[in-house]
Amino acid sequence: MSPKLRRTILAWLVLSPLVVTTLFPYAVMLITALKPATEVLTPSWVPSRLAWENFVEMWEATGFGRALANSLYVSFLSTVIAILVAVPFAYALDRYRFTGRGWLRHFLLVTQMLSPIVLVIGLFRLAAALGLVDSVNSVVLVYGAFNIAFTVWMLQSYFATIPRDLEEAAWLEGASRTGALLRVFLPLALPAITVTAIFSFINAWNEFVIALTMLRRQESYTLPIQIFSQVAGRYTVEWHHVMAASLAATVPVAIVFSWLQRYLVRGLGLGAVK
Amino acid sequence: MRRSSPLVPYLLVLPGFLLAAFIILWPLVQLGTIALSEVNRFGQLRGFAGLANFAAILEDPEFLAALWRTVIWTVGIVFGALLLSFPVALVLHQDFYGRGLARVIVMLPWAISITMTAIVWRWALNGESGLLNSGLRTLGLLDTNIQWLAQATTAFPVQILIGILVTVPFTVTIFLGGLSSIPEDLYEAATLEGASAFQAFREITFPLMLPFLNIAVVLNTIYVFNSFPIIWATTQGGPANSTDILVTYLYKLGFAYGKLGEASALSLIMFALLLMFTLLYVRLTARRGEDVA
Repeated sequence: MSPKLRRTILAWLVLSPLVVTTLFPYAVMLITALKPATEVLTPSWVPSRLAWENFVEMWEATGFGRALANSLYVSFLSTVIAILVAVPFAYALDRYRFTGRGWLRHFLLVTQMLSPIVLVIGLFRLAAALGLVDSVNSVVLVYGAFNIAFTVWMLQSYFATIPRDLEEAAWLEGASRTGALLRVFLPLALPAITVTAIFSFINAWNEFVIALTMLRRQESYTLPIQIFSQVAGRYTVEWHHVMAASLAATVPVAIVFSWLQRYLVRGLGLGAVK
Repeated sequence: MRRSSPLVPYLLVLPGFLLAAFIILWPLVQLGTIALSEVNRFGQLRGFAGLANFAAILEDPEFLAALWRTVIWTVGIVFGALLLSFPVALVLHQDFYGRGLARVIVMLPWAISITMTAIVWRWALNGESGLLNSGLRTLGLLDTNIQWLAQATTAFPVQILIGILVTVPFTVTIFLGGLSSIPEDLYEAATLEGASAFQAFREITFPLMLPFLNIAVVLNTIYVFNSFPIIWATTQGGPANSTDILVTYLYKLGFAYGKLGEASALSLIMFALLLMFTLLYVRLTARRGEDVA
């Protein structure tokens, strides 16, 4: 047996308890989502047939479409806000030396550590003062603001890897600072900005407690709240619909996240640990 | 470098700073005002109350129970995740067949919203129809169905386990970053000197990983302390508040019981605790951060 094969067997053996426990809930989600309605309450592992119609039914039954639209709106707009203010912020932190720079980094860290939950009562009153309670725009504002620290952090660590020489060469050739920024720096930074924007989008997509607090009417629910509302405080839960909805709400995002994860690791690693 | 106005960096930073500061400071001022006032359940301030709200919180037996549970919750998840993640990271750092797949599976909970994971667990843990009971019975580990979420003695440990599972990916990530930062030649030198694998682990891996362990503990403490969806989406702190931690109790105080004054006081107490953790993190990373800060 080759050493690598032996290592492989040992590695999978050590990992197997974690792998099984990790996959278990998602297997449950998948199996339940594909069970015919009559079999949902029987705890069997194999459905008698694959009930794809659950996905069609759940769309109506759980109000999936409207919640999906709300989630897309909230995640997209809050990401645009966060990126628009974070790009110049991160550029300044990386390319300029100025008084208060260290202090700003600490400020970002504190906002990153503060989960919105400890401020939730104050945030609710803020939304009330702005007349935004029940409006998805209140959630957009809060997500956008709370994503600033994360996006600046990620962007700055990537900006630091873009060589200054390129911009300086452009200045020597007579480009203005702004011109060099727009024509040399931004194109090089675009991949980093895109990746950061996707993570910001996913953060907003998955957020729970702010949406739960601010959004009181079904019409404004985002996906996590909409699906939660199908489960909480009900005597009968249509679990096959709930699981089909959870699957539809998570799988696309999970694929993108898994694909881009190494960038997250690198970005956070550069910014947070090094 | 071309001369530009010294104001430029401040102008670039300004919009982001103002928005982030506004969204934190405005609610914070509100919380301070409410916490020091007498408030009715519609949120109208009825005059100055001094520290009465803080006193009410500190005497509230539900608060003390939730505080104690938060300690168990945080310590349990942070150290559970640590104990699990360290060997997993060591394994994932090795070269073996299917490593890419193993990494994706271990990281999966990070890719999926915690709310959804918790909702799925709520269903899997269902007493009669849940697949956990049926799976355990098939394996012969269980005779009668357990109503996992119906009593705190089983619900809370299960919630902690779910918490550990969703905390593992981030922790493993930090550890993998740490492991790849250890230069290979250290191990080669150790092997040349005749060190055993265990000695190499004790003398090289562990001490060099210590800073990463510290960072994982502090960051996870902050995240877990704030973690709301697992408990809310499985039991909502029930039955009878027996699985409440501070964040869920805070939410109930503010939005279910209408005790806004006490909820604001509790928010400020938690804010102070978080600030303490954050300062600890800053201290831990300060030395390493100096070259970039």
